[in-house]
Amino acid sequence: MVSVKIDGHELECREGTSVLEAARSLGIRVPTLCYHEALTPYGACRLCVVEIISGGRRRLAASCVYPVEEGLEVITDSPETHQARKATMEFLLARSPDSAYLRERAKEEFGITEPRFVLAPEDCSDCILCGLCVRACAEIVGVAAIDFVMRGIKSQVEPPFLKGSDVCIGCGTCVQVCPTGYIQVEHISRIAAAHEFPKIGTESISDHAVKCRVCGAYHLGSAFPKDYNRLLANV
Amino acid sequence: MKPFRANMLVCAGTGCVSNKSFKVKLALEQEIKRRGLEDEVLVAATGCQGFCERGPLVIHWPDGIFYQRVSEEEIPMLVTEHLIKGRPYKNLMYAPGAAEAPIPKLADIDFFKYQRLIVLRNRGIIDPELIDDYISNDGYMALHKALTDMTPEGVIDEITMSGLRGRGGAGFLTGFKWGICSKARDQEKFIVCNADEGDPGAFMDRSVLEADPHAVIEGMALGAYAIGAQTGYVYVRDEYPLACQRITRAIRQAEEYGLLGDRIFDTDFSFNIKVVRGAGAFVCGEETALMASIEGRMGKPRQRPPFPAQKGLWGHPTNINNVETWANVPLIIMRGADWYASIGTEKSKGTKIFSLVGKVNNTGLVEVPMGISLRKLVFDIGGGIIGGKELKAVQTGGPSGGMIPKELIDLPVDYEKLAEAGSIMGSGGLIVMDETDCMVDIAKYFLAFTTDESCGKCTPCRVGTKAMWNILDDITRGRGKKGDIELLKEVAVNVKNLSLCGLGQTAPNPVLTMIRYFKDELEAHIKERKCPTNKCTKIAPAPCQKACPIGMDVPTYVALIAERKLDEALEVIRWDNPLPAICGRVCPHGCEYECKRGTIDTPISICSLKRFVVDYQRARGADIIPRKEAHGREKVAIIGSGPAGLTVAHDLALWGYAVTIFEALPEAGGMLRAGIPGYRLPRDILDIEIDVIKKLGVEIKTNSSVGANAIPLDDLKKQFSAVFLSVGAHKGLKLGIPGEDNFEGILDCITFLRGVNIDKNMNKPGGKVAVIGGGNAAMDAARTAVRLGCEEVNVIYRRSHAEMPADPSEIESAIEEGIKINYLVQPTKVIGDKGMVTGIECVRTELGEPDLSGRRRPVPVKGSEFMVNCDVVIPAISQAPDLGFLAKGHGFKTTRWSTFEVNPETTSIQGVFAGGDAVSGPATVIEAIAAGQRAAVSIHNYLRKGEDHRDYRIPRSYKKMPQVSLSNEEQSSLRRPEMPHIPVAERKGTFGEVALGFTLEAAVNEAKRCLRCDLE
Repeated sequence: MVSVKIDGHELECREGTSVLEAARSLGIRVPTLCYHEALTPYGACRLCVVEIISGGRRRLAASCVYPVEEGLEVITDSPETHQARKATMEFLLARSPDSAYLRERAKEEFGITEPRFVLAPEDCSDCILCGLCVRACAEIVGVAAIDFVMRGIKSQVEPPFLKGSDVCIGCGTCVQVCPTGYIQVEHISRIAAAHEFPKIGTESISDHAVKCRVCGAYHLGSAFPKDYNRLLANV
Repeated sequence: MKPFRANMLVCAGTGCVSNKSFKVKLALEQEIKRRGLEDEVLVAATGCQGFCERGPLVIHWPDGIFYQRVSEEEIPMLVTEHLIKGRPYKNLMYAPGAAEAPIPKLADIDFFKYQRLIVLRNRGIIDPELIDDYISNDGYMALHKALTDMTPEGVIDEITMSGLRGRGGAGFLTGFKWGICSKARDQEKFIVCNADEGDPGAFMDRSVLEADPHAVIEGMALGAYAIGAQTGYVYVRDEYPLACQRITRAIRQAEEYGLLGDRIFDTDFSFNIKVVRGAGAFVCGEETALMASIEGRMGKPRQRPPFPAQKGLWGHPTNINNVETWANVPLIIMRGADWYASIGTEKSKGTKIFSLVGKVNNTGLVEVPMGISLRKLVFDIGGGIIGGKELKAVQTGGPSGGMIPKELIDLPVDYEKLAEAGSIMGSGGLIVMDETDCMVDIAKYFLAFTTDESCGKCTPCRVGTKAMWNILDDITRGRGKKGDIELLKEVAVNVKNLSLCGLGQTAPNPVLTMIRYFKDELEAHIKERKCPTNKCTKIAPAPCQKACPIGMDVPTYVALIAERKLDEALEVIRWDNPLPAICGRVCPHGCEYECKRGTIDTPISICSLKRFVVDYQRARGADIIPRKEAHGREKVAIIGSGPAGLTVAHDLALWGYAVTIFEALPEAGGMLRAGIPGYRLPRDILDIEIDVIKKLGVEIKTNSSVGANAIPLDDLKKQFSAVFLSVGAHKGLKLGIPGEDNFEGILDCITFLRGVNIDKNMNKPGGKVAVIGGGNAAMDAARTAVRLGCEEVNVIYRRSHAEMPADPSEIESAIEEGIKINYLVQPTKVIGDKGMVTGIECVRTELGEPDLSGRRRPVPVKGSEFMVNCDVVIPAISQAPDLGFLAKGHGFKTTRWSTFEVNPETTSIQGVFAGGDAVSGPATVIEAIAAGQRAAVSIHNYLRKGEDHRDYRIPRSYKKMPQVSLSNEEQSSLRRPEMPHIPVAERKGTFGEVALGFTLEAAVNEAKRCLRCDLE
């Protein structure tokens, strides 16, 4: 066990716990985007930055991937963290200006309506590259049908070589976990198929539906309850 | 080993190999064999010698003769001369300049002289492909010493005490890092050598791997012993085929010799090294991304902690160091920490390898002690800037580093000092930039690299780098906005603070240092749509417009001339330029040098076309008086009626101010009248242009001096809401040679020209005239002297024709008129008799090193003294403002050239503005107009205090004109017309205009040639 201090509260936690988990256990709210309790933390979106005071140095770090260590002091809410999260949200919104989900969060949490800089249309997408779908597919479904491809601003989530995946089982977990609704399923005749993404073969979808480790339900595109996304978010 | 009388060592680094050094080696071997010398002379390949720019390199030992740019064709001569006749072969030796004597020995060449080789101790001495060569130079002795005599802790202590810091860039203490890893409890540990060098212009690690791979292997084995690792990885990028090949071969040889593998030196220590080839992602140089790549995952970084020493490759403790760090280790163990710590600065020990690239004469790889100044690196080792240009900045640390401006050139190179300056040591890329480089463009270039190489995982780096690039791109395309600099800085700071890994945390450095050190340049791009170096070609609608100090809309008026719409053409011209008939005659027309048509055949005669429009329209009574925009505003006083003062008067009068100009001379025009002779700028043209400004309501009071003995400046400040000082630079500078003040017949250029042009009291000054100087003023004085009837006119200039600042057409006309121009001659003494000048003693010069202005300094040639006989000497070297008019304790801040300091346009006294030559020192008419236009905006903003804001003029299009269609015949037949001149014989004794101007047909045809770059 290590003892840490978060916003002035002393706390004992298990080694390997992340600062975010420790903070949440105290009921402290730290905004997140690419974080999901059921998945390995990824540390990409940078919305969960907190101030870390360690070894006399004070710096900003993503709390979801920062492991607690003995004597660590954390400040989750300061002008610095707020400014940093606001800047991050502005970056995110610049990439996904049409995402209703992001627009709402940007406005409500940070008062941002429009980013001050624009990216070229080809650099914009409703996919915010949080990687929840990638991790869900690999860690929960266990098939890793999709991953990040390309680099930098050209990054996207796609099956290997941008071709229809032959390992995708069409479970639709990616659809459900996607916060912006970028990944869509489309109904083609009787069976559900993720048309936009992932591209899958038409046969055997129903045969391969799998049980979700998060909710225990068997996943098959059209069978999800409408408010599933919210349920998943509150696990 | 068989003894040889001589070794010919051929450089086989990547630079020389790509210059065909292997072919040179083969040719050398064949020639030596053909001459029967194969038992006497050994030909061997070595690693990179560092002086890559001069490759292929061959070095002769034991003589230590350095041969450069060796070609196969030269080999027979080289062998004959040096190996058979025994005299070093001059043709292939290195010479620092074209005119300088060759330097035979490597040790005497500046590039090598100041280096200190520790890491590169074996470069060029051993064959990197032969382990025996390495061993015979004390190779693997350190490993033996450590394994048999030292404990692992002892090795770590030695490295810690040496003060060695990581050479990958961050500069973490190596011994400390090893200590953490050695304390980690795990059965399995790893060592990694980071050779994923990927920043533009850097090739240190490649060179070490190519020149001395065993030093890296030995260093890694020592590190493995110290921390208890069993396996090592060399992560090298696949774009380095030779480095990959050499390290792989070296590992195999070391395994064969039992220096890698099980129970090394019969101890319990076992260690193996594997080579992993990286696919070339810059981010894989970041240690967590590198480990991911070794593990076979996507090369993306992750959060630290956990650090590699805690959780590295496959979850085991791992120690990662850079190639150069590893190569330092054996020598520290061999020679001890104290020895190593004696080199370098307090906190940065040892040496550092830099790849010295960019605009520097000696490009290559150098190893120098820490703490060496940038000046020594760039000027002593690097041999200064290419083409004698001026240094502007040095970028250290590649795209992750920052720009260090020339003012900080004496900065000692160590980790802390570079960080203070806003840059980083980085892995050692050192890119030198000269005065022609646009810093905004350079920052954009580096950012393009990091944007492209960003892995895309974390938001700030992925989006922020692109956002910054977009803002910079807009700025370089003339779409910069107010607030861009602040936004750019904010984004840069956010990317720096919030990014996940080192790539994003350092990517904003070029932008931040550019804003810190070159803000003026950035602001010029945004506020005035000017790229001071003219590098940003898209910043104005067309290159000609970009080159013009006032951004005249050339393409539009030229197109209108082509369509014979001269009324409109004049409208466009007058919209930009208050003195077009004057500029059409005396402007040095920088626009024509940038004209794209010039890259096909000859540039458009932009200057003469402008003159044509104004002259033609005026002749038919169609000149334009611009319309005033407003009335009844404050009173403004202008002191001096030169081009800057006239421009301010013109603009302010248009905007409704009541302007009064005070002119000390009897006639208005300033240097336009006093300095420029009538044969270039006829007096009636000058009068007409000034009349246009008078018609706008400007009052010009001539014979009205302002200052100590006339109208007090303080009175003007009380009577007028603003005062503009444009007093010009009318004081000729002295030669500073003996005899200058002792005789009659010495006539300063401005006094002479004013006497002719204004006072009209100057007759033929003498029979033989010597004019000293090479600028337009010198040409004016000389050509005026010819017109006054002087029989012999000599111009004396201390540099060569290439450096001469006068307009080429002026020089040509002067020569036509019989003036003799003496190049490379410097006056040393004025000689006289009975109080009168009889001649001037001169010395011949040759051009040496560049001076502060970047031009090559004339160096007197001893014993070349000679006399130029003359009865008049006219010094025309330069002018300065005559500040004698200011009262004592005037309170103005002035420079050491007695010009006014302005910031950016106001003087140090509120409500008083300055511009023109009085601020810039002697410059051109168009530059004075530009200064006037800027000052007018400043005065307007000052008087309106923010309301009714007026922006600086930026180059823009008056209207969009379609392309003129040309027939095929016209396309192929149109040529730039010759300007008709009056015959040389008719020029003496008269000041009539020499250039006669174009006819309508010539002008229209010339205008049709325009390529209309603005339509792109």
